[in-house]
Amino acid sequence: MNALELHHVSKKFPSANTPAVNDISLTLRTGEILALVGPSGCGKTTTLRLVAGLERPDSGSLHIKGQLVADDRHFTPPEKRGVGMVFQDHALFPHLTVFENVKFGLKGQPSAKARETAASMLKLVGLENFGERYPHQLSGGERQRVALARALAPHPVLVLMDEPFSSLDADLRHEVREQVRGILKAMSATAVFVTHDQEEALFMGDRLAVFKNGHLEQVGLPEEIFHDSATRFVAEFMGDSDFLPGIVQNDGIQTELGLIPQKLNVPANTSVEIALRADDVDFDQSNHPNALVLARFFRGAYYQYRLRLASGKLIHAFKPHTKTISPGTSVHAFISAGHKVTVFQDGVAVEDGNAASRPNSTRS
Amino acid sequence: MQRWKNFPHIPKHIHISPRLFLAAGLVALFVAIPLVYIFFRAFTGGTEVWMRLLQTRIWKLLANTILLTIAVTSGAALVGVSMAFLTERTNLPGRQLFRWMLALPLAIPAYIGGIVHLTLLRPRGGVIPQLLENWFGQPVPTPSPLGFWGAAFILTLFTYPYVYLLSAAAFRSLNASLEEASRTFGRNSWHTLWEVTLPALRPGLMAGALLVALDILAEYGTVALLRYETFSSAIFVQLSGRYDRSAASVLSGILITIAIIILWGELRLQGQARYTQLDSQWRPSVPLPLNRWKIPALLLVLLVASASLLVPVFVLGYWSITALLDPETLSSIMRSGSQNFGNYVWNSLWSSALAAFAAVVLSLPVALLSVRYPSKLSKAISRFSQIGYAIPGVVVALSLVLLVNQFLPFLYATPLIVVMAYVLRHMPQAIRASESALNQLSPSMEEASRTLGRTSLQTIFQVILPLILPGLMAGAALVFLTSLKELPATLLLRPAGFDTLAVRVWIWAEEGFYTQAAPAALLLVLASAWPLYFLLRREKIFK
Repeated sequence: MNALELHHVSKKFPSANTPAVNDISLTLRTGEILALVGPSGCGKTTTLRLVAGLERPDSGSLHIKGQLVADDRHFTPPEKRGVGMVFQDHALFPHLTVFENVKFGLKGQPSAKARETAASMLKLVGLENFGERYPHQLSGGERQRVALARALAPHPVLVLMDEPFSSLDADLRHEVREQVRGILKAMSATAVFVTHDQEEALFMGDRLAVFKNGHLEQVGLPEEIFHDSATRFVAEFMGDSDFLPGIVQNDGIQTELGLIPQKLNVPANTSVEIALRADDVDFDQSNHPNALVLARFFRGAYYQYRLRLASGKLIHAFKPHTKTISPGTSVHAFISAGHKVTVFQDGVAVEDGNAASRPNSTRS
Repeated sequence: MQRWKNFPHIPKHIHISPRLFLAAGLVALFVAIPLVYIFFRAFTGGTEVWMRLLQTRIWKLLANTILLTIAVTSGAALVGVSMAFLTERTNLPGRQLFRWMLALPLAIPAYIGGIVHLTLLRPRGGVIPQLLENWFGQPVPTPSPLGFWGAAFILTLFTYPYVYLLSAAAFRSLNASLEEASRTFGRNSWHTLWEVTLPALRPGLMAGALLVALDILAEYGTVALLRYETFSSAIFVQLSGRYDRSAASVLSGILITIAIIILWGELRLQGQARYTQLDSQWRPSVPLPLNRWKIPALLLVLLVASASLLVPVFVLGYWSITALLDPETLSSIMRSGSQNFGNYVWNSLWSSALAAFAAVVLSLPVALLSVRYPSKLSKAISRFSQIGYAIPGVVVALSLVLLVNQFLPFLYATPLIVVMAYVLRHMPQAIRASESALNQLSPSMEEASRTLGRTSLQTIFQVILPLILPGLMAGAALVFLTSLKELPATLLLRPAGFDTLAVRVWIWAEEGFYTQAAPAALLLVLASAWPLYFLLRREKIFK
């Protein structure tokens, strides 16, 4: 059974001109972590709040564990949905101790059992000695784990997390999110996770749902989203892609960087765009310069170069840090992807032709 | 340390709870009825009453009232802002002590301050003129505390702390970087004060000044004592002496109209007053060195503190001792008619405490609605429920007399009608305190409670109330304090034999028994100083 199903859910706020969530349909299997990702204002948080019951949909229906919780006529309030939520600001109750916070959701259980559950949850998140403290006496990472323990303690059908790591410092964030993913998997919890950070989404999500302006752009495995983006927006948002214009020909796509021998299911002479990430592009200082090095950025293990093609188009390329090339140098750029590149027509990915072949690669 | 927190993104909730909406609507209605009723009476009072008043009284009263309001408001703004500048932005010695001395006059009702200054300065028989006459062997002309200038002087002395507190907090919250930026653009500190600091604080200061203006419109005791006739005192006379309720209604209608215009301006400014706020980058500005101005500045602050706090408290203390040492005075203090001193104290305390409790409870639905479900309608309800600021005590009394007589006769001549007047008049303070407490509570607290299985009502009792309790207590303390000092509505509405400290002080002083009134007055001041102390401790500048 699916843990969560959304059918054509829409929500518009009275103060806004466009819907915050526009005709979203999603399913989530039990035990799966789904990451909702997109730029701010794309509707991912509203979707989460609709699932929690903190917002009411205008149309569409929501089912949690097969139970209808919201549609045109029916609305189950948040306290009756059996979902746990971790808030962006953690929302720990400052008037209660850590232990009381975790026990808060265990109302209705015998108090001995509730205490036992709360204690075991605190142990799970590694804070068994912090029960008597108050939230203001904790560090950011500890608060984060208390919030998670509190949300998980009642064994919710579904755990909802609204940008739970955004209030943490960058170095702490990496550590905590690994712990959190470990805890969620250890409990085989089903979770919906909201973030605007594509890297975090790729790390946390078993599957990803990419949002844009209130609608779903693509749902899929992290690898699919990253390497096989359904739209130009997804390719751009999930990993700084550059887009190179090209014309479809019978034997491939003609671009400024030469012919890419990749067959497409579109007629010849169609204008398309090819998504290129910096690791798909390479250059050398051979005799046929077609690009100018504009800038070099030190990225630690490698350099990132910004190149300007003859047409004025900017693309980026990675190179090992062992060799430096100065800005102003004329170079020969070429595609070194080693896999099929993603091609978009009018912003939507184009399907491959059957006779797909690898682009002419000179792998570095 | 309590930081000002801001939640720019208040999520729009599931839907407005009909129960909450109903409760808030009922509160607004409760507040609205007296107002609407007075207008109704004023405009159905009959053309003949209007004509008579227009030909005789109204223009003079209007001129008197507006003149006094303008004079006191500007006086209080001038004194308040300059005192705040001296204690917050300069290296004045003894700043911490002066802060308390400049804020504590709020515990002294203006009419009690008026009684003290009147005794000292009265042209014939006043302590100071007498002293000068003995000294020089002939009468020396001294400024009289009676009439316009006297009233303006006394009221300025006891209302400037409103402006002082607001501007001191504003001076304090201003980030040093703002003034530093101005300095880097080539302004010296004097120009910076006028071009950057004061304009940045202006909305908050204007709002404070308008609250003073509303206070002056409502003032009865002081103007009656100093024989300066305003709308409030004229309405009081109509009500208590001539029993001409039609004339009183007409005058009240005009008075509230002026007050509502001022309140409207104040509410608009409140909205803009958030120019400055404390963020994590906040640093206090560096105090300006006073150098050769140190002594004059010190004398100035000392003068204001003496006139508004030290002299009144000293005189009241002196009189109290005299009164308590004199057996005859002592016995008339302890017992007048069937009432003894304990009764006055008890009446004051329970009626003010009950009003404080009721006002805070009633303010909750209004504040919850306006903070958690922001919309034009909820904001309108919140603003409307603050109309009490614009209804002077005499008008509250008039409307309650008329309404209760007609619709709730069993309440008439019970102390509950006095409590009701306090609630109506002081509810705005409770609403503002509750709103500001709720504003500092992240909505995610409530949402967390909901997702952890609590209903909205359980959430209010288990999460919201425990967390905003300190803010609610502050609101209650403020209502308690102002109710304790309230005079005109208490005088007009109290049932026979229901004497409070304020009433007793007033009656004795009116009869000229100043020493007899002093212990009660001193106790009233001390009883007011206690909640005031609690309130001031919450302010940043007193930490």
